[in-house]
Formats: sequence, structure tokens, C-alpha cells
Amino acid sequence: MLATVDSCVLAGLEARRVEVQADSANGEAKFALVGLAATSVKEARERVRSAIKNSNLEFPRRRLTVNLAPAEMRKEGSGLDLPIAVAIALAESGGRAPTRSAFLGELALDGAVRHVDGVLVAARCLRKLGVERAFVPSVDASEAALVAGLEVMPCRSLAEVVAHLRGLAPITPQPFTSIAPDDIVGLVVEHDLGDVHGQEEARRAIEVAAAGGHHVLLSGPPGAGKTMLARCIPGILPPLELDEAFEVAQVRSLLGDLLPGRPLDWSRPFRAPHHGVSMAGLIGGGSGFALPGEISRAHHGVLFLDELAEFQAGVLQALRQPLETGRVTITRSGGSVTYPARFTLVAATNPCPCGWSGDPVRTCRCTPAVIDAYQRRLSGPLLDRIDLQVGVRRVPLAELASEPRGEASAVVKERVLAARSRQLERQGCLNAQIRPSRLRHLATLEPASRRTLERWAEQKGLTARGFHRAWRVARTAADLEGAELIGDRHVLEALGYRLHDVAA
Amino acid sequence: MTSPPDLASLNTRGTWPPPEGPRVAIVGSRRPSPYGEAVAEQLAADLARAGVVVVSGLALGCDAAAHRGALVGGGVTVAVMGTGVDIVYPAAHARLAEEILAAGGALVSQFPNGTEPRRRHFPARNLTMAALSDAVVVVEAVQGSGALITAEAALDLHKEVMAVPGSIFSPLSVGTHALIRDGAGLVQNARDILAVLGIGREVLDDPLAAPSRLGLGLQPERDGILFHISDVLAVSAAELARKLDLPIAEVLGRLTSLELDGAVRRHEAGYVRALRRAKDRA
Repeated sequence: MLATVDSCVLAGLEARRVEVQADSANGEAKFALVGLAATSVKEARERVRSAIKNSNLEFPRRRLTVNLAPAEMRKEGSGLDLPIAVAIALAESGGRAPTRSAFLGELALDGAVRHVDGVLVAARCLRKLGVERAFVPSVDASEAALVAGLEVMPCRSLAEVVAHLRGLAPITPQPFTSIAPDDIVGLVVEHDLGDVHGQEEARRAIEVAAAGGHHVLLSGPPGAGKTMLARCIPGILPPLELDEAFEVAQVRSLLGDLLPGRPLDWSRPFRAPHHGVSMAGLIGGGSGFALPGEISRAHHGVLFLDELAEFQAGVLQALRQPLETGRVTITRSGGSVTYPARFTLVAATNPCPCGWSGDPVRTCRCTPAVIDAYQRRLSGPLLDRIDLQVGVRRVPLAELASEPRGEASAVVKERVLAARSRQLERQGCLNAQIRPSRLRHLATLEPASRRTLERWAEQKGLTARGFHRAWRVARTAADLEGAELIGDRHVLEALGYRLHDVAA
Repeated sequence: MTSPPDLASLNTRGTWPPPEGPRVAIVGSRRPSPYGEAVAEQLAADLARAGVVVVSGLALGCDAAAHRGALVGGGVTVAVMGTGVDIVYPAAHARLAEEILAAGGALVSQFPNGTEPRRRHFPARNLTMAALSDAVVVVEAVQGSGALITAEAALDLHKEVMAVPGSIFSPLSVGTHALIRDGAGLVQNARDILAVLGIGREVLDDPLAAPSRLGLGLQPERDGILFHISDVLAVSAAELARKLDLPIAEVLGRLTSLELDGAVRRHEAGYVRALRRAKDRA
């Protein structure tokens, strides 16, 4: 008998349909699995055989052939266990698979259905391919049930699935996962700007960064509070929009990183990879199809790179494409995949290897040549893409003991939200993403402010990119004030964040 | 203490020996404050005008400022190098070296041609500098600085040692203040140095006018912020905002405006007063 069951394999944020065909025919007892299966899929044979046996089902004692179609596509992952087992069970019993249904899940030897990564992505793509019902591991059912118009059947064991298909004990469909953002109110601000002592300049810089989607570099000695400032950023950003939360959840789903039962999270991601991170870890990678890296996990949130100068030079260079485009494309043996990576980069660095250059109390012991080499590692193309660069100083101990006097995150957030909605209304994107050709219309400069910007560009030998970046920051400064025209004071403030412009 | 090298066996480029006359070494930090840089340049220019040969080490910071000042003053200057005379270190000073030669000065070294920069060569070079000079003036020096090695060598060789005072808050003046406490001559202007050398030629304006010549005379009322910015210690925008009780955005803007006008400049994560340089003055 022949039985056919639908499933899919993942290719980045896309899923490709796979037809699992099982045929049991007369002949010597043998189990052949064909159709370009990678190792993880070939191993399915052993898991499926035991799972079927331990679910009190009959494993065919005949010649069994399982084909994964289309045959020329390489298949990876353990999600095909369940569809293979179901196809075999149907082939043996002569049943038919329900129409417009797909199966996904890994099997344990006892027949339990186990978690697989990427169920949300698979469910969304299956729905697009016309599938109406998805059988997925019960632990992953809530993420699949985020997809509108898809009936999700939570599967706990192979025996349950087979009983359902035979009409013996129907499985109750998973209710649609609520996407009402009712728990937004409960979002906790873990790091509040109100707890930061001093650092007026850096506080203002992260406010501007949050308002306009700009990248920030904080430069200062150890213990100056760079990490604390970076961690405050999610708390002054608006919660994720539904489509943003969905994009974030998809990346997390691929990495098996969603909370069961609460797949949508409205808080902005904050990722802080260590400076030893590999290219694959930061940008994305792996064999077959690349998995998302830290930059994609930080999508719509904050990517914090502490000790920027300590990161491998190649890794930093690879940040350039995503910083410009908000996406990253990675090619591996399986093909190339594109992941979203529109994050706010917050980089922190010591001013010199010992960290104390410019500190009012401790003396820096680095030679000029060493400082030069250290800063050169940061300079150039990457620094050119960071709009806001500020120096951070240690706060005197006496002040640390007193009550901090800065505004709380809630106050700053209000200004940020107002500035962001002005931008979205005017141009449909944040200021940092305005294309140079549109700047003249969207960010009109008063004559005086234009002269100031040009004077600076000439004095400091700004690149065209640097010029446009300063212009965008001035746009954000004006938006924070609610001004339509960019005045001289906005340009002057924006230029104040260009720590690394030196006289040409 | 190692003995100074045989001065007769120095490798040289340019005009050697230099014209007859007193020789003064001006040395100091490779990372001076704007104040130190301006002082080194100013003293060198005034000494050069008085016919003094300015000796220094061609290093970054105070050394380069001293050579440049001597050139501005139309004088002869000698660079004592820690490399072979055919290798200019740092390479960024290649042009400065050419200018020194073109103005009738010299590059000299106790090391053979082709000697690359080595950390251990520089203390020996400092000794040579002291040996070649009649007096050593230290402009700015942190504790343990190479400039202090030169000063110590000068003492051993019974040469005059003088030092320029600075702010008591500045780490860069810890070394010079220690020298003064230990008896080094106090330098407020080039005349102080000339007096020690026994030359009385008038080359300076009224010393009380010196501050305005260094640019400290910028009217504070033009911008209240300027009044709070030092020429030695960098002050951050945040500190200024706190002191003046102004919004940080406004302070940043006003600082940028002053920077565009050349009144302040960035220095170590903050701002310092930009001092007018010897070469900018008539």
C-alpha cells in the first residue's frame, strides 16, 4: 500500500514543502529511506522503527520504502520523524492522510512527540502553501497557533496522532494564541535612566539614538557606566509592534528560543555577545542553511558590543552590510538565506588599552603609538557608520553616594515616542533610515544650519556618508523638540556627537 | 648611571656642529596638554630669536612643538634621535625632519645608520640630549617620564635644569613640580632661561602680557562657557552642563560652535581651550 503525508523543511525564514511517501510491498523485510536525506534525517529510520513498535503499532514486516520528495532537495532536521512514522502507519493500515494537512515533529523511541525548532516559521509558510491543518509537537503548538487561518493539532505521542487519524480519539485543536498586547502594561523596565548618576551627555545621546534609530559609541574608562547606559535603551523604546514581535519571534523560533505558551514577547531584544564571539555566532552561520546570529536576535532591539576594539577585525567588518541595510545574507552549502538585522548598535570601548586616557584622576600609561593603533582598529568604515560618539567619564564617588538627579526612563520615553511618531508620519521610517536623496525634502535645513554643517564638513574633512549621518542626527534633534525645520542649534548639537572627527 | 656617549663620534645629517652659541634642550611629554604644547612652542620660538640652538628629541608632543617653535623663530634646531639618523621615528615627522635640515639644523644620533626604534635606545638618547645642551627645560612630564631621565642626566653632567610649572590638578605637571621642589629653576618665559645662561638680550614683551599672547585673553563675555574651560585639563560637556545648569543639548551645541571658531578643541573625551600657536601670531 502507498501513503503520502505532507511536511516541510526549513531554509532560513522560508519552509519548503516535502512529500513523504511510504510504500510497503511484498518482499524481504527491509526499510529503505531515499530522497537526499542528511544524517539527521537518515537517523529517523531508527527512531521511527522504535517509536512505532513502542506505540503498539505494527511495523511492516515487508519491503518498506520511504521517499522524501522532491528528491533533489537536501533535507535536514528531525522534524520529518513524525510524518515518516504517520506515512508508514497509514501504508500499513491502508488509511488515507487527511487533505491539506501537514505533520512536523521529532519522535522519541517511546513514541512521544518532541520539540523541533522553527515551528512558527514552518506554520507560517505552510499556511502560505495552502495547508489548513498542522500537526505539531504539543510543546510548540502555541507558537504555531499564532498563524491566522491554520488549525493547529497539538501532538503528544505517535499513538495519539494515529488514533486521531483513525477516528478513534480526536485531538482537540489548539486555540488561536492571543496576540492582544494586554501584557504590555506589565513590561518591567529593568534598568531605569533615573538610577544613572551624571552622564548627561551619554544620556542625551542614547535618547537621540532611541528616537531616531541611530547607532551609538560610548567611549570611556572601565566602571564609567557604559553597560548600564546601554541596558537602559530598551526601557525608553516603545514596545514592539505586532509585526515586529512576529519577526522577532520567528528568529527565536528557528533557534528554539521561544517561551512555550507565551511565544510573542513585546519587549525589545537586548543582546550583548562577548567579544570572543565568532563570525558565525555574531552574523549567523552553521552548515546547510545558516542559522541566525546575534545581530538577527537583536532585530528591532539593541545589540550591545562591549570592548569593541577587542572583537576580531573580520567580525566587525562583517557588521557593515547589516548596519547599512538592516538585513544580512549568508551563503552556506545549503544555499543562501537572508535574515532581518535591524538593530540599534550600542558599542562601548575604552579610550586606550589601559582604559584611563582622559581620566581626571588616574594616569594613563599608554604610549601615543599604542593609543593610535588601538583607535585605528576602531576607525574607518565601522566608525563612519556610528552616528553618535560620546565620551563617558567616571562619576566621582561622592556623587555616587547621593541621589541621582537625572530624569527617569518614563519621562525620556515620552519624548522618544513623540519624536518617533513624527518621523513615521512624515516619512514612514526612522531618521537613521532616510536615504540621502530624500534628506533634502525630509530634513530641510535653515540657511544658517546648512552653513554650519558645511563649515564643519570642510574643517574636519567629512566623508559624504559622515555628512549625511550628521544631517540625520540633526533631524532627530529637531524631532525631539517638535521642530519641522532644522535649526542651527540642532546641527550644532548633532556635530557635538562626532567625537572622532579630527581636523583634516 | 651610564656615561654619555662620545660626542665626537655621533652620526649626523645636516649642518654639524651647529653655529656657536648656547644650546637649550626643551623636552616634555609625548602627550602634552594644549598648554604644554603651546608653552614648548612659545619658549622655543623666543629662544631661537635670541640665538639659542634648540635641542630636542623629535618625538611626538612637546619635542615636536619645540622643533616647530624654533623654526618659527627663525633659529637652528637639533634633533637627537633614538634611531639611526636615516630613519625618522615617528614616521609622521619626516616632513618636520626635512624642515629642520632645510633651516640649517641637524639630525644626530649615537646609533649607527639603519637602527630601528627600540624601547631601550631612548633613555640613552635622552642622556645624549643632556650632554649636548647647556640647559634642559622640562615643559610637562608625568611621573617616570623620559623627560625626567634627561633632567637627571643633566644634573649628573652639571648642566642647568629648569621646569615649567602647571596646574596642581594636572598629572602632566607632577614631574615638573617635583623638579622645581628639588631645586630646578622656574620657567615663566624665555627670559628666565636666558638669565640662567647669562644672556640678557631682550627678546620678550612684558612678561605680564604673556597670557594674552597665548590666547587666554579671549573675552569670556563672548561666551560664558569659555570661562569654564581650562587649557590644561579637559572638561566634559556633561560637567559643563552641570556647572552651568544648562540643558546638555544646548551645551553641546555651544561647544561645537566654539570648536568651529577655533576657540576650543577636543581633548581626551572632553574639551580644552585652544591656545593660539606661535606660528599663528605675527
